[in-house]
Amino acid sequence: MSTRSGLDILVVGGGTFGSTLATLLCENGHRVRIWVRREEQASEINAKHTNSRYLGDFKLHENLQATNELADSVPETPIVLVAIPSKFFREVAREIGDNLEGDQILVHATKGIEIDTFKRMSDILREETCAKKIGVISGPNLAKEIIAGQPAGALVASRYDEVVEGTQTLFQGSWMRMYGGRDVIGTEIGGSFKNIIALAAGVANGMGLGDNTKALLITRGLSEMARFGVSLGADVFTFGGLAGIGDLMATCASPLSRNHQVGVRLAKGEKLKKIVESMNQVAEGITTTKAVFKQVQHLGLDLPIVRAVYGLLYEGWEGQKALQNLMAIPVGRELAALRYR
Amino acid sequence: MRVEDKERVGVEVTQRVLDHWTQGTDAVEHALFDTIYEERRRLESEKKRSRAKKEGAFYNRIRHEALKASPERQKELLKEIIGFFVEEVTGHFDPRVYEVATRVVPPALSVLLNSVSPLRLLETIQGSDPLVDQLEVGGEIEAVKNAAKLGTTILVPTHSSNLDSILVGFALYRIGLPPYTYGAGLNLFSNKLISFFMHNLGAYKVDRRKKAPVYKDVLKTYAGVSMEMDYHNLFFPGGTRSRSGAVEKKLKLGLLGMGLNAYIHNLQAKKKRPDIFVVPCTINYQLVLEAETLIGDHLKEVGKSRYIIEDDEFSKPKRIFDWVQKLFSLHSRIHLIVSKPLDVFGNQVDEQGVSRDDRGRPVERTRYVLQDGKPTFDRQRDQEYTRELARSIVDAYHRDTVIKSTNLVSMAVFDLLRNRCPEMDLYRLLRTGGSEESFSLQEVHNQVSRALDTARKLSQAGKVRLCETLSEKDTVAVVSEALAHLGSYHRHPALSRRGDRLFHGDRNLLLYYQNRLSGFGGLATEKKP
Repeated sequence: MSTRSGLDILVVGGGTFGSTLATLLCENGHRVRIWVRREEQASEINAKHTNSRYLGDFKLHENLQATNELADSVPETPIVLVAIPSKFFREVAREIGDNLEGDQILVHATKGIEIDTFKRMSDILREETCAKKIGVISGPNLAKEIIAGQPAGALVASRYDEVVEGTQTLFQGSWMRMYGGRDVIGTEIGGSFKNIIALAAGVANGMGLGDNTKALLITRGLSEMARFGVSLGADVFTFGGLAGIGDLMATCASPLSRNHQVGVRLAKGEKLKKIVESMNQVAEGITTTKAVFKQVQHLGLDLPIVRAVYGLLYEGWEGQKALQNLMAIPVGRELAALRYR
Repeated sequence: MRVEDKERVGVEVTQRVLDHWTQGTDAVEHALFDTIYEERRRLESEKKRSRAKKEGAFYNRIRHEALKASPERQKELLKEIIGFFVEEVTGHFDPRVYEVATRVVPPALSVLLNSVSPLRLLETIQGSDPLVDQLEVGGEIEAVKNAAKLGTTILVPTHSSNLDSILVGFALYRIGLPPYTYGAGLNLFSNKLISFFMHNLGAYKVDRRKKAPVYKDVLKTYAGVSMEMDYHNLFFPGGTRSRSGAVEKKLKLGLLGMGLNAYIHNLQAKKKRPDIFVVPCTINYQLVLEAETLIGDHLKEVGKSRYIIEDDEFSKPKRIFDWVQKLFSLHSRIHLIVSKPLDVFGNQVDEQGVSRDDRGRPVERTRYVLQDGKPTFDRQRDQEYTRELARSIVDAYHRDTVIKSTNLVSMAVFDLLRNRCPEMDLYRLLRTGGSEESFSLQEVHNQVSRALDTARKLSQAGKVRLCETLSEKDTVAVVSEALAHLGSYHRHPALSRRGDRLFHGDRNLLLYYQNRLSGFGGLATEKKP
């Protein structure tokens, strides 16, 4: 690691997950700074130790400093952790890139895909900064459970051992068990794709369907995730881990998930536009579905659940129609597409 | 290589390789006996009896002694073998010949290539340089020349033909770059005429039949140490000539990684000019001398293809003569494009030698290897950096590939073949030619016209380059140029015109030439056996 000594880590992004990780790292005894876009949000974190827009009354760690200046903070830290919604990711990454140097580690925790280009977040970091040592954190990490102090696990994946070990060290001894891996593609695809299945599970919930149906949906969803990921170069085993099935289970089971909530409301007949307007946080699944659907067509894959969710979001399908379409698909051999690839 | 450097290189390489292979318990013993085993095995099939006898005696003696030797003595024996390898690799340099060769060989080459046409030979004697017509060197020439002044450069060309190294040598001379050191496979020396040029263009012999990891380490370390001593290096990172005809996508990382290795050594030694720059380069032919052999080898069943080919067109002077003659008679150009230099991490480097990120912002490249403020080796990290470099090289290869009419027309015809028989597997299609032995000229024109549109769009987007015919002429001219080439030099015409129909003769060759376009979005996909 480098000689930079001002900070142990800079967290870029003051949303729910960024604030949660920042406070967790503070509790673990590290010198942490968090970058937020708005000045008043930074002032609130520094003065009151709250981030009311995203975390209500929850008290952040009192040592957590906030800033809205990237230029001063980036050069001070050996590791930058980016947790910015995919929509704004490139813009912020470019700003980070203005101040970053090659010895620094860049890890992101954003679950999404750039809609127009189908670039993964690590691709964007590579394009917008000079960093080579890039990694991704993903897993079943519902922020509200983490800040409640409950144990959780995640995966940090990078081609560079230094990134994996550096990130693991930061979380060592905390309630977040940080496992290491090398499959960046699989980890990113898992984290993005699960939002589509969470939407579908939300729809099933909203339609009053029971656990059998949801289990069917989740398992077949996992199979679609793996097929999609493998076709892009991922390791199939990643989908059996925290960034695959782990994340999928948490997101689909929890009513706290934003994507799940969108699904429930869609099933009840609300229009997408109205749902989006009423939410103060981004549900990544909405844009991810569009990007993935386009890519699935390009790759010539047949992924029925993705097709159905796309129909629900963008073609005005009703839950019943989506369900009927899915049930009409001929059943084949389970996992054949993966096993005999 | 300068005389005073030769000994230094030898000592340094021997010591580094020895250090590498003597870490850990039993490491010496394993390295020693593995090398003896590999070498004795190789000698069983050695054609030169005298050599087999001499080297056989050497390894027998070492083996006999090693069986009873103490660990210290085993280390000495390993050092002896390493020294033997080092001597073999470095021993072929004759500095006097080297000095003369850099001045004499390029004009001699010019005469050789022009001697097939008396008129052209006359022109050469009169002072003009007709090779200018045949070999077009383009791309970032100034940037590369600057890089060679600011640091040590590694030229990494695409590889289709054994003539590549000669052409590169000539191109370097013509654009005013110093000569490059490179390791040439023994098979390149099988043609006596070419062997002469090989010896004298700065090549050192690489025996690819030697499989012992210690030997490979000697070669790698030799390249690295020579870079540290400011010798510009040339090697083909694809490892061997592209069998399929496609532009290389997977590169050999071992040798490529020596650039980074040398860079870190230079930083640690606080050298004034520590920088190593990597220059990708594409060599683009209308006709490839060895196309038939290469694609034939590619189409062999997986695992049966040969890494070393010793009996191809390159070993037959008559074929080289025919090939050169054909290029001249058709006014065919070979395009050699040098790309923007890269640093050893894959970032582009500007004319001042400053590394730039994808957004064009300056990058302080030393930072990539610092740990606690000091330049440090980290095997895993450095392997990944080299992978990043390989990725940038492959990107540059694609951007700077020059598509020729033979590539585009072969692709169009192959697509027609495929469309006619979508169910047929590749081997059958190649063997039988599918349902029709010819296509109407009009049909081919239509297909070529569509492909030309796509190629021009890709070229406008900076994703590939086009030769003049493809960028300026119409479909009819493109097809006719391709026909002139594909219908003549090779033993069986790949494509020929009779009346208003085009007959596909050697479909393997069509496949070979069209494969060059695989990996360019919207153009061909590589057909794998």
